[in-house]
Amino acid sequence: MAAHSYTDWFDPIENFFDNALLPAHWLATVPARLSVWSELILSDRSDLEVENTRLKQESLIHRGQIQRMADLAAENLRLRLLLNATELLMDSVLVTEVIGVSPSRNSHTLFIDRGTEDNVYIGQPILDAEGLMGQVIEVFEDHSVALLITDSTHAIPVQTLRNGMRSIAEGTSDYDRLRLRFVSPTADIREGDQLVSSGLGGRFPVGYPVGSVINIEHKSGASFIEVEITPAAKIDRSKHLLLVFTSEDGGEVGPSQ
Amino acid sequence: MKESGVGLALIISILLASVLQLVPVSGYLIVLKPNFLLLVVIGWIIFRPSQWGIGFAAFTGLLADLIFRAPIGVHVLLFSTVGAIPLYLSGWLVYFSLIHRCLFVFILIIFAEFMRNMLLSMWEIPIDYSYIIVVALASAIVWPAIDQLLIKVNRKR
Repeated sequence: MAAHSYTDWFDPIENFFDNALLPAHWLATVPARLSVWSELILSDRSDLEVENTRLKQESLIHRGQIQRMADLAAENLRLRLLLNATELLMDSVLVTEVIGVSPSRNSHTLFIDRGTEDNVYIGQPILDAEGLMGQVIEVFEDHSVALLITDSTHAIPVQTLRNGMRSIAEGTSDYDRLRLRFVSPTADIREGDQLVSSGLGGRFPVGYPVGSVINIEHKSGASFIEVEITPAAKIDRSKHLLLVFTSEDGGEVGPSQ
Repeated sequence: MKESGVGLALIISILLASVLQLVPVSGYLIVLKPNFLLLVVIGWIIFRPSQWGIGFAAFTGLLADLIFRAPIGVHVLLFSTVGAIPLYLSGWLVYFSLIHRCLFVFILIIFAEFMRNMLLSMWEIPIDYSYIIVVALASAIVWPAIDQLLIKVNRKR
């Protein structure tokens, strides 16, 4: 145990085993895939047509919103240039699928089906449709391992949308809870406040939803208040995720394909 | 069943337990998921104590360390220690009724979860002891299936 903690002697064994374990992960997700497949096979044609129409409408709405976002982003860019802001982040994304999850209650990691072949890199942020999920911590040729924001060893710099108050959200080993560290009892924070990534530290891009405040506890005599957050992302449910490629010069960095 | 057949059954049971351990579950189901690898080890030690002892438990513990991505040695120590108890009591355990063996497994898993949590807390991983009883209960519910399968395998000798 000490050797594993203080040396990297076991890394080759772990890397080999991670690759060897992929078929077991594939087998373990067979029931879930069968369930999706059976739903597809058993669903009525008319249901599929209704769903198709709904998805087309949603796509149209999202396209409209993206156009508005593009306008706002351009305005933001102009304002940043006026302020001589140096760091401009433009992101491109790559869709990835979850192929396995850590079986341990204490370790919140995912296996995803993209690796060095797709230019995935260590520290790369991962999103689902709702918000930030975590970051890549190990990359192999055709798959990677991602650490989720709910893992107890993970922390992410955040800010509140309402007033820009900065803090650090750390994992609690609970898929539904994060907590804020070192929040002063006099800090302006309320239940319901939305938190987004602040971009400090340079690992996560600015402005991606992290979660919302659900509980604030003032303990008498304590130097800081306890702030609980529920993650925006569906940490233990999302199957398809987005790998975010960021660059700091405003240019777009994309995957090879 | 021939000795080679027993070996094959053991390998299949370990592989099956590994796959079951990796089946993704969401929400509160994750705390209900028993440690299938540990249950299989306990089962083999109870029914084949002369063949499968501490060494086997330690090897499966190493496998569990790699599957759980835990610090190497945590599950080796855990499986060896927990495996030693049914090994010591195996002479009696085979004569117990199924319900008594379930009760034994329930108590053993409580001990195992306490030990696992204590070991993991050395790496400052936050531990929630409230799950221990739930995991032990889930393990005791799953146990009859493992128990009966292993009895059948060993009867065919």
